[in-house]
Amino acid sequence: MKSLRERDITVKPVWIYLALAVVSLLIPALMDKYWQSVAVLAGIYIILGLSLNVIVGYAGMFQLGHAAFYGIGAYTAAIINIHFGVPILWLIPVSAAVAGLFAFFLTRPIIHLRGDYLCIVTIAFGEIVRIALKNDIFGITGGPNGLSGIARPEIFGYAIKTPLQYYYLIWIFVVLSIFVIQRLENSRLGRAWNYVREDELAAEAMGVDTVKVKVAAFVIGSAGAGIAGLLYASRYRVIAPENFSFLESVIMFCIVVLGGTGSITGVFVGTFGMVVLPEIFRPLKDWRDAWLGVAMVVMMILRPAGLWPSRRLKLEIEDSADSALDEPAL
Amino acid sequence: MELFVQQLINGLTIGAFYALVALGYTMVYGVLKLINFAHGDLFMWGAYLGWVALTFAIASLFENSVFVVVPAFIFVMFTVGLLGIVIERVAYRPLRNAGRLAPVISALGVAFILESIARNVFGASYKVYPPELLPSGGVGIVGDVRINYVQLALLLASVLLMAAIYAFVQFTRAGTAMRAVSLDHDTSRLMGINVDRIISIVFLIGPALGGIAGMMVGMYYGSFDFTLGWVFGLKAFIAAIMGGIGNIPGAMLGGFLLGIIETLGAGYVSPQWKDVIAYVILIVILIVRPTGLLGERVAEKL
Amino acid sequence: MFSGKRQTSTSFHIMSMVVLVVMLASLFGTAAFAEEPSGEPIKIGLQAPLTGDYAYEGKGFEQSIQLLVDQTNAAGGLLGRPVELVIDDDKGDPKEASLVADRLTTAGVVAVIGGYNSTATEPASEIYDEAGLLHITPSSTATRLTTKGFQRFFRTCFLDDRQALFAVDFMKDVLGVKKIGILHDNSTYAKGLADWTKTYLEEAGIEPAFFDAINPDDQDFTPTLTKIKGAGLEAIYFTGYHAQGGLLLKQSADVGLDVQWLMGNASNNPELITIAGLDKAKGTIVTTEPLPSDLPYPEAKAFIEAFSTAYGNPPASVWWVMAADAYNVIKNAIETTGSTDSETLATYLHNEFKDYPGITGSIIGFDEKGDRLGTIHKAYVIDDQGNFVVYGESTS
Repeated sequence: MKSLRERDITVKPVWIYLALAVVSLLIPALMDKYWQSVAVLAGIYIILGLSLNVIVGYAGMFQLGHAAFYGIGAYTAAIINIHFGVPILWLIPVSAAVAGLFAFFLTRPIIHLRGDYLCIVTIAFGEIVRIALKNDIFGITGGPNGLSGIARPEIFGYAIKTPLQYYYLIWIFVVLSIFVIQRLENSRLGRAWNYVREDELAAEAMGVDTVKVKVAAFVIGSAGAGIAGLLYASRYRVIAPENFSFLESVIMFCIVVLGGTGSITGVFVGTFGMVVLPEIFRPLKDWRDAWLGVAMVVMMILRPAGLWPSRRLKLEIEDSADSALDEPAL
Repeated sequence: MELFVQQLINGLTIGAFYALVALGYTMVYGVLKLINFAHGDLFMWGAYLGWVALTFAIASLFENSVFVVVPAFIFVMFTVGLLGIVIERVAYRPLRNAGRLAPVISALGVAFILESIARNVFGASYKVYPPELLPSGGVGIVGDVRINYVQLALLLASVLLMAAIYAFVQFTRAGTAMRAVSLDHDTSRLMGINVDRIISIVFLIGPALGGIAGMMVGMYYGSFDFTLGWVFGLKAFIAAIMGGIGNIPGAMLGGFLLGIIETLGAGYVSPQWKDVIAYVILIVILIVRPTGLLGERVAEKL
Repeated sequence: MFSGKRQTSTSFHIMSMVVLVVMLASLFGTAAFAEEPSGEPIKIGLQAPLTGDYAYEGKGFEQSIQLLVDQTNAAGGLLGRPVELVIDDDKGDPKEASLVADRLTTAGVVAVIGGYNSTATEPASEIYDEAGLLHITPSSTATRLTTKGFQRFFRTCFLDDRQALFAVDFMKDVLGVKKIGILHDNSTYAKGLADWTKTYLEEAGIEPAFFDAINPDDQDFTPTLTKIKGAGLEAIYFTGYHAQGGLLLKQSADVGLDVQWLMGNASNNPELITIAGLDKAKGTIVTTEPLPSDLPYPEAKAFIEAFSTAYGNPPASVWWVMAADAYNVIKNAIETTGSTDSETLATYLHNEFKDYPGITGSIIGFDEKGDRLGTIHKAYVIDDQGNFVVYGESTS
């Protein structure tokens, strides 16, 4: 059996992972609380980015409503925790499952839509979820106030409270996500995603069930977003519909594309750009958003494949110079 | 029944505005296959520039004549149109061959920039259009149903603009060239069409329409702030998709349809849920006709 | 497809990444590991929406408090030390507010004033409480904020339920109306006020004839107004913000709706009249804490004058004045206790702080939940000149 390295170009040598692990475990312990909090938030967005990457990067579909599933996961955890007292960590599979289920039922009927139409539908979903949450649908979502009093995660009775503790908890989830996604990348499903993204018609002709494959991408990606939602809810203890707006979906989308579509490292880079940099640039105050916009435009012009794209996709984009506008999918 | 007719009139008016903005989206999409997320903000800039023009004009040049509106319109049209051309050159042209995702990010970036500049230059408070400018009062139609003069004038102006655009696209050489470019860039070049120039023209007309719509909305509602662009832009985008993106009559149909659905939804169901109603109807339309109501049928089977 | 240039692009790729990472790391590193100057100055934090939907109010907070900070420093500082204002923009958004709270808790401030809207204040208050920091909000009136048992959280504003009670009493006793409608905008504050109004109306035996919400992102409220017209109301109480209030008044006339409009204290703003147009706005009643210009207290007059001198216009919103009072409360607490420790200050505020002559009137004290005692709501009516003129005195 070929080793992982030989079979696949995206798994890096072991020592790189070890080095990254050591660095990422040690540095936050030296930071002050504020930056630790930023690190925690970055961790949550990394998970969101990784999950969205499955949909946008691997399967090649426009998803501009990812925040909806982020919110569904958060609210699921919040409602069950607040009303039934179920400990947060036990709710991880629940949040993931509920988000995934919503994704399944929402995307199944519209999965055949062409790229730009799919895009608007995802935006519409995002808004529908947000408005429904705000209007206190079924009386359980707390309306515009949202929900508060979400419990902190507990491991054997020890509650996780400080940003540093949270950081380590999220670190575990990030590592797990990376592992799962790398396995997926190199599985039959992952390869199917590649085919569907590159040429859907040909994929169908080769016997790939494009519908199942695309819906699977949405379900898996949304489940990941659901988990991120749970982590956010228990970290900040208060959630409101405005936390899950279209702007959030845009940020996640930018993380994936700016960082480098289809690449795990790209998600890290993108999160740094979209979450951490704005914190560093707080002194810019009123003009922060303008500079963010400028950065986005400049980045895309200079490196249209993103800062650290997956090698597969980089080649695709370079090749697309031949036939950019006649491309069907996306 | 009267209530219904009144709501219809309200819906048509707001629908006209959506239609104008949707036209801009659809024209740009037609030639570039790009969803210009910055379009809503161009609309917002139209409202601001219109306000600047009217306030300045009244203060210094024309006094309170209603005809001040005409030069102001022209000013807004050209300025926003110019802005559109600049944006295309700087933020979109370099990305012509960069796939589908990069231009979207660039468009979002432009949107952020436009919003931020508007907020910093014009301030955070609401701007009010000079009310003395517009004739108040209206015309009764049947019983309690009223349509006021401003509504009438703006509806008329919108319809005229739409007719002009349609005529332009259908009957002029440039319009034909536009249609050719939206079919295939390379073949158009082979036919001797200067694709870049056509695209620039589209970015002059589309944003100009959006800007005018912005000014009209400002005049109609009287006040606005920098958050205007985002919501309106999204709705107009939905209208364009409903009608079939890239399809000009489709954008107009979509705009009016959306306006009516929203107004009836707000009036008969609940204002809180009216947006959800519109979105759900959009999704249903797309499930049944995957390329919009008037869009070309594309063979994508389930 | 696999051309030779792949080699060059890879190494260039790696190099540029390294350079980028090093640059960013140094920037990041400096920011993360920099020592906060342990200070002489007493730092007070301000969490306010400087950008975003509520930027108008947020800027006002900044102006009010900066003015007072300058005055304090000109008079020799606080406990002999200069006061420094640390401001952060929460954009009126809950996620930003959490980040701002994280930042302020590590910036060495002794107390925080803010935010403006309840949705932004709530998550931040959780973080301030965990950090043990004194936190005062001048304007977040949602009842839920003080139900969590936070010992160091206070408000200089009055709660939604007091205002609702006042409004209900006013409508049924002074105006004598029975067919009443309630309209909100589904925000934390507005819905809270609307719900309380409904509760008190029902307690008084009146069932609201209309209860619905508008969407504040919209411009066009004619569908809702047409619906209201059909309900035949005598009075309608809008609990949302002044921008929508103005539009409602304006479009109300267009639709031919004839009803007595009442608005809550978020419509207490001269921009309401600008947006609606004077002839459409006059006759509207607004329930609110007294306007800055109406405050009879010498402290108020002095503050308004100082504000006008500094900024060229008097404070337009009662919330700016509430923010000023929040600062004054903190200043008084520090001066009286001689300490900057949040626990000490909070205990003082709960137990010994009484009858302080504030700009918004005598601050009688704070209850055990941190809410300001008493209530001074008034009803104002907009007169023909566009002034807010007192209609009736608060009876509750």
